[in-house]
Amino acid sequence: MSDTSNFQPRIAAFLCNWCSYGAADLAGVSRLQYPPLVQTIRIPCTGRMSPKFILQAFRKGVDGVWVSG
Amino acid sequence: MDIQGEEGDFKVKVVSHPRYIDMAKCIACGACAEKCPKKVPNEYNEKLDKRKAAYVQYAQAVPLKYAIDEPNCIYLQKGKCKACEKFCPTGAVDFEQKEVEREMQVGSVIVSAGFKAFDPTGYSAYEYARFPNVVTALEFERILAASGPWMGHLVRPGDEAAPKRIAFLQCVGSRDMNTCDHPYCSSVCCMYALKEATIAMEHAHGGLDVSIFFMDMRTTGKDFERYYEKAKKQGVEFIRSRVHTIAEKPDKGLRIEYATEKGEIKIDEYDMVVLSHGLEVAPETIELAKKLDIELTSSAFTASDSFSPVATSRPGIYVCGALNGPKDIPYSVMEASAAACAAAGKLSAARGSLVKHKEVPKALDVAGDTPRIGVFVCSCGINIAGVVDVEAVAEYARSLPYVSFVTNNLFTCSQDTQDKMAEVIKEQNLNRVVVAACTPRTHEPLFQETLQAAGLNKYLFDMANIRNQDSWVHAGEPEKATEKAKDLVRMAIAKAALLQPLQEVRLSVNPAALVIGGGIAGMNAALNLAQQGFETHLLERDTQLGGNARLIRSTAQGEDVASYLKDLTAKLEAQDGLQIHLGAAIKDVDGFVGNFKTTLAADGAEKTIEHGVTIIAIGASEYKPAEYAYGQHPKVMTHLEMDAAFMNGELDPARIKNAVFIQCVGSREPERPYCSKVCCTHSVESAIHIKDHNPDAQVVILYRDMRTFGERELLYKEARSKGVLFMRYDVENKPRVAAEGDKLIVTATDHVLGRDIVIEADVVGLASAIVSHRAEDLAQMFKVPLDEDGWFLEAHQKLRPVDFATDGVFMCGLAHYPKPIEEAVAQAQAAVSRAVTVLSRKEMYLSGTVAVIDQSKCVGCGVCWTVCPYQAISEDEKGLAVVNEALCKGCGTCVASCRSGAPNLKGFTTQDVMAQIEALL
Repeated sequence: MSDTSNFQPRIAAFLCNWCSYGAADLAGVSRLQYPPLVQTIRIPCTGRMSPKFILQAFRKGVDGVWVSG
Repeated sequence: MDIQGEEGDFKVKVVSHPRYIDMAKCIACGACAEKCPKKVPNEYNEKLDKRKAAYVQYAQAVPLKYAIDEPNCIYLQKGKCKACEKFCPTGAVDFEQKEVEREMQVGSVIVSAGFKAFDPTGYSAYEYARFPNVVTALEFERILAASGPWMGHLVRPGDEAAPKRIAFLQCVGSRDMNTCDHPYCSSVCCMYALKEATIAMEHAHGGLDVSIFFMDMRTTGKDFERYYEKAKKQGVEFIRSRVHTIAEKPDKGLRIEYATEKGEIKIDEYDMVVLSHGLEVAPETIELAKKLDIELTSSAFTASDSFSPVATSRPGIYVCGALNGPKDIPYSVMEASAAACAAAGKLSAARGSLVKHKEVPKALDVAGDTPRIGVFVCSCGINIAGVVDVEAVAEYARSLPYVSFVTNNLFTCSQDTQDKMAEVIKEQNLNRVVVAACTPRTHEPLFQETLQAAGLNKYLFDMANIRNQDSWVHAGEPEKATEKAKDLVRMAIAKAALLQPLQEVRLSVNPAALVIGGGIAGMNAALNLAQQGFETHLLERDTQLGGNARLIRSTAQGEDVASYLKDLTAKLEAQDGLQIHLGAAIKDVDGFVGNFKTTLAADGAEKTIEHGVTIIAIGASEYKPAEYAYGQHPKVMTHLEMDAAFMNGELDPARIKNAVFIQCVGSREPERPYCSKVCCTHSVESAIHIKDHNPDAQVVILYRDMRTFGERELLYKEARSKGVLFMRYDVENKPRVAAEGDKLIVTATDHVLGRDIVIEADVVGLASAIVSHRAEDLAQMFKVPLDEDGWFLEAHQKLRPVDFATDGVFMCGLAHYPKPIEEAVAQAQAAVSRAVTVLSRKEMYLSGTVAVIDQSKCVGCGVCWTVCPYQAISEDEKGLAVVNEALCKGCGTCVASCRSGAPNLKGFTTQDVMAQIEALL
């Protein structure tokens, strides 16, 4: 494997509006710090999550997909 | 401060203390707290860490507004500082605020002053005050919390080392007359100890042993017994013993000495001890009760009778929550709705009289127009602009397709900016709006209102969360945060360009109710609904009302059930607007919230009832035992049989010489892994009844755990003082009952002596389980679920305890889970309260975010209507899927499930999400 010390993974986060998206907001209110490499797409429920979204995100070049709900 | 007047016309004087922050101006940016130099122990984290004197109590606080804590503020105490005022970006700090006295004129009052956790400082044997690694359960709760002092890392407060062995001690400040004069059980500690123990083990990833020292494990609520069994399987050790002393070791670990059930003395060592402290009413609440002139029980909880469980002794004043007896969250939430029902009952004529209505202009038709997107980038004072280069983000937005207007605002949410936004939308002819600011979860409704005021459909809107999920969490990396803000704005704009105006379907509401089941719960629900002026139908399959209550002798508080039932029946029969359908069965149900049509069969004829809501109160039944010689001897009786025999004189308590009660008959067994909640108290009541009539009678109760929760513990105590004998048995070694001629021989193993005891009994009472009707047909007709044990399954066990996920259907009584009468009545009132939220509206609007099926792509495979959690999709006459918008909650599960791509979710279409993914990088 190549050197991963400078690896800056881009992550697409599909977060459920009712829980994880709210948790990400609370992380902000609590000023928890994390690397600015995660971009959120708000979905109404993880039930909405289609495998196609994950594939498309990888096709676009993200390094990781996080589905949480 | 003061309350005058009477039911229907109270004058209440209240005082609002100054918070020194203008709530209208505070944007919860936290600058005041950041700059405040004064550190104060943080009550939210049980003083395990510090907060500032300018603070918000906790991150989830509603409304999210800061406050200045007067006794700790340097300026307010010493006259110098004002750092918060200097740095507040909106000028919200106002040291001129004064105490404000207000007088309110109200018809009813609800007291929900809650409880205080017992402070074990004075409990010398446990050395809470001296030993740093003896903590209370509330402290432990905060230690485990992600928002706690150690961000959820399990450490002990003394040295921040990870504990390897933790002991929980139950009943600290409960069931204890010696150290704290609290004879009652606090009801909630067994469950929270189980929860904390299992969560701690999860946090420790295997390196943790937990022991719980307890007297009786009281997991009486819905699914609680399963939770207990699960904790055992996860390896939590349960030791039945009350620990007498804790000693500290040189390494600050703790040594616990205790006696086992068999009387052996043992010593165990732990790294940390958690005290499961109980609930008590705070002295200031007792003072408040005096002011309100409401009666308290000997344990200082409010006194209420079982048939009006949320009414205090003073008419017009109601109570809910732990002040009305120790209780958990689901029960408190349920009681809150019940109190609302009781408080509103006599005021129903005034309902809606203070409501103001807002006029909304008709939305312009923009469908088919080229998107003209307006982007509003918010600085949020310095909250966003302090990290993110908002000018650069705005500049970038200008370069994106379909964007025709971009501006940057200091505070996008302020009223003047909102007015300006509405003007801009009209002037610039915008037909889509994107706000890059905080979170849609708090601010989307506000901006949508502005769109509506400007004549735009409110769904032509999206937000980019560049504060909570960007500037606040990447404060140290401004350049990267700016790049991320651009990414988020690009994604929002990509979605916005595709947004379509959505229509919210208007539903009319039929202000009539159907209550199914004429037991105590259903009767109370029907009576309350009719008293509030709604046409009500009460359906009972039997030929008379009353259900199980007809067979119950008395409540736990000793009230006579038969006479209550007689009064209640008379009230129902005399009530205007209430129709009782006896001997009735439901044949068919059609429709949804606001507009149900139910076909009944009664007296050989069918009739259709139209109603807006449904309350399911079908009750449950008593399990007929298959053991303990039941059915082989007439004197082996279940509780209901024994109560009936007491009432009709067949069984004379004065002539009973030897009685034995056996607990958990059919409950807490593999086929029924739940506690029936009422049986321990019922046996104790019957035992006292016998003892009261014949003090010389020998009465033995054979039990697994005595579950006389709350103030029922006082009955348990009374029974012991009257000489009732309690003997524990293990489920692996149950008592045996043999009928020998007329005699009944009960054999049980004494767990202290380890030997069999043989008792000759005249009568054996079996504390038989409560079993559900498992009403699958009814559940299917109303599109509501049942759980594994056949109880109706609520929308949310903690927060929506009487609702279903399906709108317009509610439940109460034993249909939900076994419960005593006062809880069934409270639940009936709660269901009414929830039902009235629908019935009191003439019409309701459904969300526009619903699924739609493109039938040209649908093959009728049925996957979507199988997976839909709300049963909102059905098969139409062509065999294709069709969505009922009134039932759809917009989760999108159908969209994800369909291989042909026929369903789509408005507002979150596949194209919308794909556009966001396309714009990710």
